[in-house]
Amino acid sequence: MTATTSAPTTRRLTTARAMSEGIAQEMGRDEGVFVMGEDVGAYGGIFGSTGGLLEKFGATRVLDTPISETAFIGLGIGAAVEGMRPIVELMFADFFGVCMDQIYNHMAKIHFESGGKVRVPMVLTTAVGGGYSDGAQHSQCLWGTFAHLPGMKVVVPSNPADAKGLMISAIRDDSPVVYMFHKGVMGLPWMAKNPRATGPVPEEPYGVPIGEAAVVREGADVTVVTLSLSVHHTLDVAEEMSSRGVGVEVIDLRSLVPLDTATVLNSVHKTGRLVIVDEDYQSFGLSGEIAARVAEVDPRMLRAPLARVAVPDVPIPYARTLEQAVLPTRERITAAIDGVLSQ
Amino acid sequence: MTDVVFPLVDDEAPESPGVVSTWFVEDGAQVREGELLAEVQVSKIADEILAPVSGTLRHKVAEGQVITQGAVVALLE
Repeated sequence: MTATTSAPTTRRLTTARAMSEGIAQEMGRDEGVFVMGEDVGAYGGIFGSTGGLLEKFGATRVLDTPISETAFIGLGIGAAVEGMRPIVELMFADFFGVCMDQIYNHMAKIHFESGGKVRVPMVLTTAVGGGYSDGAQHSQCLWGTFAHLPGMKVVVPSNPADAKGLMISAIRDDSPVVYMFHKGVMGLPWMAKNPRATGPVPEEPYGVPIGEAAVVREGADVTVVTLSLSVHHTLDVAEEMSSRGVGVEVIDLRSLVPLDTATVLNSVHKTGRLVIVDEDYQSFGLSGEIAARVAEVDPRMLRAPLARVAVPDVPIPYARTLEQAVLPTRERITAAIDGVLSQ
Repeated sequence: MTDVVFPLVDDEAPESPGVVSTWFVEDGAQVREGELLAEVQVSKIADEILAPVSGTLRHKVAEGQVITQGAVVALLE
C-alpha cells in the first residue's frame, strides 16, 4: 500500500502536545533555547507540557531542577540576560509566592532598570486552574495578578493551535512572557474528557501574535469576553443558546498583556451587551479591567448593565460540590447571559 | 492489512484493561508510517500509538471503550 502524497489536512494534537511541539521546533532552530523546571525532563512535565523533549535534546538542554523556584527562576534570568532563551516552568501558578521577587522585580524590571540596554527574553510557563478537587493552593488562575504588574507579557491559550503558536511567539519575543496554561485544556488522559482540548494543529512552525484576541464565534445579541478553559464552556453555552435563537459572540482574549481592547470594544459596540467570564478571583482583577476599558471609552455602548462570572473572593474549595459552586460553570454563564438579555 | 495493537503499557499487570483516551486521526484518514495515531491509558500510565505502516486507518474501538493491552484497536489498509 503506497502512502498518499498529500499532507494530512486534519492532524490533531492535544494542547499539551502542541505546546511541546512548539518548544521542540524552536529548540531545533535555536541552540540558545533550553527548558528548566521541576519534572520537565524525565516526567515530561506533570501536565505534559514538555513531553518528549529530554529524549530529543538531552539533559544539557532539558533540566530537571530541585524544588527551589527562586534559584532556578533566577538562573533563567541570568541565562536570559547573557543571551540565551530559557523556558522556565513554575509548576503551579499558586507557587508564585516563594519566587515572586525574581519574577516581578527582576525578570520584569531589568530591561527598564538598565535603560533598555539589557534584555530578558525568557518564557515563564505555569499551570493554572481548577475543577478537579486539587484544593485552594493548587487550583488558582492568578492571571490578574501577573497582568497587573508591569514589565511582563502574559498569554493564556485556550486550544491546541493557539498553544503552539503562542509558545513560538513567546520564545521569539525579546520580552519576558508569562505563559499560563489551564490544566483542563491540556487534553490529559487522566483528567475529565474535554473534546475541545484536542484540535487541528499545523505541522510547520508558526506564530500567533501576542496581543491579539480572537473572535471565536460571531453573534449579534451579546458579547462574552473570556479566556482559557472558560472559552470551552462559553462555546458550549453559545451552541445551546443558538438553538433558542440567541446569538452569542465569543471573544477569546488569548493575551492579557498586551490586552486587545479594540476587539472587545468593536464587539460591545455591535451587541450592546457584555458578559465577562473569568476563572480568576472576581475583585480587583481581569473582569474589572475589561469593564473599566469599556466604561472609559463610552459606557453608553452598553444597553444593559454588564455581568461578571468569576470565582468569588474565597479560597477555592476542595469538596466537589463546593468547588463547582464557585467556578464559572456553564449554568452560571447561561444565567448571566439570560440576565443581561432580560434588561 | 496491518493490525494496530494496544501496546503493553503496564508490564507488571499485563492483564490490566485500558482505554484509547484520544484518537488523533479520524476513522478513514490517511496516515504515514510513524505518525501519532492515539493516546492510550492503563490505570495511571499513558502511552502513545504510532502508525506501524502507512495507509488508511480504520478504527476498531471508540475512545473510552475498555479493552485489554495487546488488543487490536485499528486496522491499516
